[in-house]
Amino acid sequence: MIRIQQLNKSFGPLHAVRNLSLDVPAGELFCFLGPNGAGKTTTIKMLTGLMRPDSGTVHIGGYDIRTQTVDAKRIMGYIPDMPFLYEKLTPVEFLKFIADLYNVPSSNLRLTIEDALKQFGLNDMRSALIGELSHGMRQRLLYVATFLHSPKVVFIDEPLIGLDPHSIRMIKNLLRAKTQEGMTILLTTHILALAEEIADRIGIISNGSLIALGKMSDLRAQTGVEGKLEDVFLKLTESGNETA
Amino acid sequence: MNSLSALWLKDLYALRNLRRMFQREPIFKVIFILAFASGMMGGFFYLFLDGFRFLSDMGGGSYMITRRLFALFFFGLGSMLVMSNTVTSYSTIFRSRETTFLLTGPIDIRNLVTYKFIESTLLSSWAFVFLIVPFSAAYAWHEKLGVMFALWTGLFSIPFVILCGGLGTLLALIAVRWLPRNRIFWGGVVIAALLFLGFTLHQHRTELRDETSFVLNRVLPGLQLASYPLAPNNWVAEGIMSLTGGQFARGALLWCTLLANTLVIGLLVQWLGTATFHAAYQRLIGASDTRKRQPELLAGLDWFLTFLPHDVRGMVLKDMRSFLRDPMQWSQALIFFGLLALYFAGFRSFHYDQFPETWRNLIVFLNIFSVSSVICSLASRFVFPQLSMEGHSFWILGLAPTGMGRILATKFLLAALAMVSVSAGLMSLATWMLQVGPGLKLLAIGVAVAISLSVTALATGLGAVFIDLKQPNPVAVISGFGGTINLVLSLGLMLGTLLPFALTWHWHVTGRLSSALFIRGNILATVWLLTLTLITTLVPLWLGSRSLKRREY
Repeated sequence: MIRIQQLNKSFGPLHAVRNLSLDVPAGELFCFLGPNGAGKTTTIKMLTGLMRPDSGTVHIGGYDIRTQTVDAKRIMGYIPDMPFLYEKLTPVEFLKFIADLYNVPSSNLRLTIEDALKQFGLNDMRSALIGELSHGMRQRLLYVATFLHSPKVVFIDEPLIGLDPHSIRMIKNLLRAKTQEGMTILLTTHILALAEEIADRIGIISNGSLIALGKMSDLRAQTGVEGKLEDVFLKLTESGNETA
Repeated sequence: MNSLSALWLKDLYALRNLRRMFQREPIFKVIFILAFASGMMGGFFYLFLDGFRFLSDMGGGSYMITRRLFALFFFGLGSMLVMSNTVTSYSTIFRSRETTFLLTGPIDIRNLVTYKFIESTLLSSWAFVFLIVPFSAAYAWHEKLGVMFALWTGLFSIPFVILCGGLGTLLALIAVRWLPRNRIFWGGVVIAALLFLGFTLHQHRTELRDETSFVLNRVLPGLQLASYPLAPNNWVAEGIMSLTGGQFARGALLWCTLLANTLVIGLLVQWLGTATFHAAYQRLIGASDTRKRQPELLAGLDWFLTFLPHDVRGMVLKDMRSFLRDPMQWSQALIFFGLLALYFAGFRSFHYDQFPETWRNLIVFLNIFSVSSVICSLASRFVFPQLSMEGHSFWILGLAPTGMGRILATKFLLAALAMVSVSAGLMSLATWMLQVGPGLKLLAIGVAVAISLSVTALATGLGAVFIDLKQPNPVAVISGFGGTINLVLSLGLMLGTLLPFALTWHWHVTGRLSSALFIRGNILATVWLLTLTLITTLVPLWLGSRSLKRREY
């Protein structure tokens, strides 16, 4: 569902992403990990079409993000870590706007929005302005908006920032349920316990290069560390830093 | 649904909510804002009307000036709109967070550019309503034109505003896509612009002739350019006058010409925007700053400021470094004061120094007014929100072993130092170019300094009283209730300080005030100036300090 081939991006002398190749099949929850400045956000920006790679290709659901941009975007969703929301709209208006943008059929839209707001505990705030919502509520609203057009691929940058324990549990369950329905999710996080708990596969990037890829068992085998993902990650990135 | 319709529907929702928010505001605030807006429009109307009457009283070439003033007005408006929309388009199209958000959705780039072009044109032009309406009304009143004049003005103004907005957007698109980003290029551009200006001023000075139009051009620079037959502002002015005068065929022809040009500019914006947006956006977000940056900006200043207490020195250096690293801030200040400095420097080119004493006296006070107005707007724009802009990092200052009063005093002193230096410098330049006597020179500098001090104290104090640490956008802080009150009080304070001196001197040079009364008037005005400056400097700072100490963070 996500196919990345020989992706490269530089900012002046800094080679942010180098020769990145990766395939993420449909229905997989893929976690993308790496130290600060490793190239995760740059990669996600290239995958979502916000940034153009210097070389290499990205295909989302078979669509080339550079040449078939609109088709690719129609089947994907993106949740950034610091999202932009229209502060002067109410949650219902914002969701209707998203539905219009993605051409979600208007039949049952009202019902879908009502259900989603209830499910995410936002029903009482449906008439409030987004500017009046707390950070956690905004984050939840963003999840509702992203899943409204039933995307096939979703990119999430730090999915649990600012959420309370209830919301965290809800998001974890939601992500699992969505992948079981066939949705492909690629997320980046620094919370290694989350990656260990929910990821089908994990990719670790350091200094712009993919240095490890596979299931937890594969990563353990690669490093020879029999412990938590944290130990594996530290081992891999330490050696990555030493080589760098 | 088409993405463009979806975006406009979203704006409609936001507009509806704005009305709802407005209804929730306290009635006092609503009345205050409405009264302020009406007062401002009324004030402008009276000012313009008085100007037209003044021109009529002059006789001679005044008829020609009045006739051409309409074209000159739209010329000035159009030029400001092009400049304003170049900056607004850059931030609206390329720098807004909404663009990044919309780019992750399935939106056609043509629609995105069209939407953003219209948004930026609206943003940069709405304030011009406050100029167009009173000017046209005053012109119609003075020239005894019919009611239809208002309709024709509206009919011509809308395409004209879009045309100028489109030109601004085109400039922004070209600049982001193609203009080099290196310092040498921009340094060259600045030097070339200064040389060009210097050359133009020099030419202006040496080419003095006797013909009326040339003389008029001295008095009102740009009159000739504004009346150029192929300039859109001339179509607007001539078109409105033709329709008002019953020449419908000529008026319709001029309107169609304007509309056709506006549509062509609109198409060009769409075409260029669609063709270059991606490349321009990538250029902007993918650009890296490869300059070798020193680890410490103004490192030497640290040593120079050792006489200051350590906490004050820390705050001063932090604020100076933050200001210098934010081009939006210093470039706006530079443009404001740079244009004023250029204007003052050109006084002798326009032979203002050879005007009779009555006129020179008037020009000096008008200059204090213009410098003080810029000081008021800069204080509202930069000084008022400076505490709110500490934002989420305010806890650092809050936890530091320093008092809130000290923080406020430091902010005030730094801002006052900058404002006083600039206003005193500009007034020295203006009075020197006008070759006025030492008394008037001293007075002009003194009044400008006093106004700078009190306006800065007012903005600092009220900024602390109306502090909003949750608001990351300075524009939202400025346009809030506190910001509006600050601006209104600043302008009132400026007039209250300036008028006693201006009237005393004006009445004296026009022979309405004897020398004895003139001296007495000056003494009284000086006492008033000192008292007002002292009160308006200390009271807002005391209120602000008290508010900061009482607040919970």
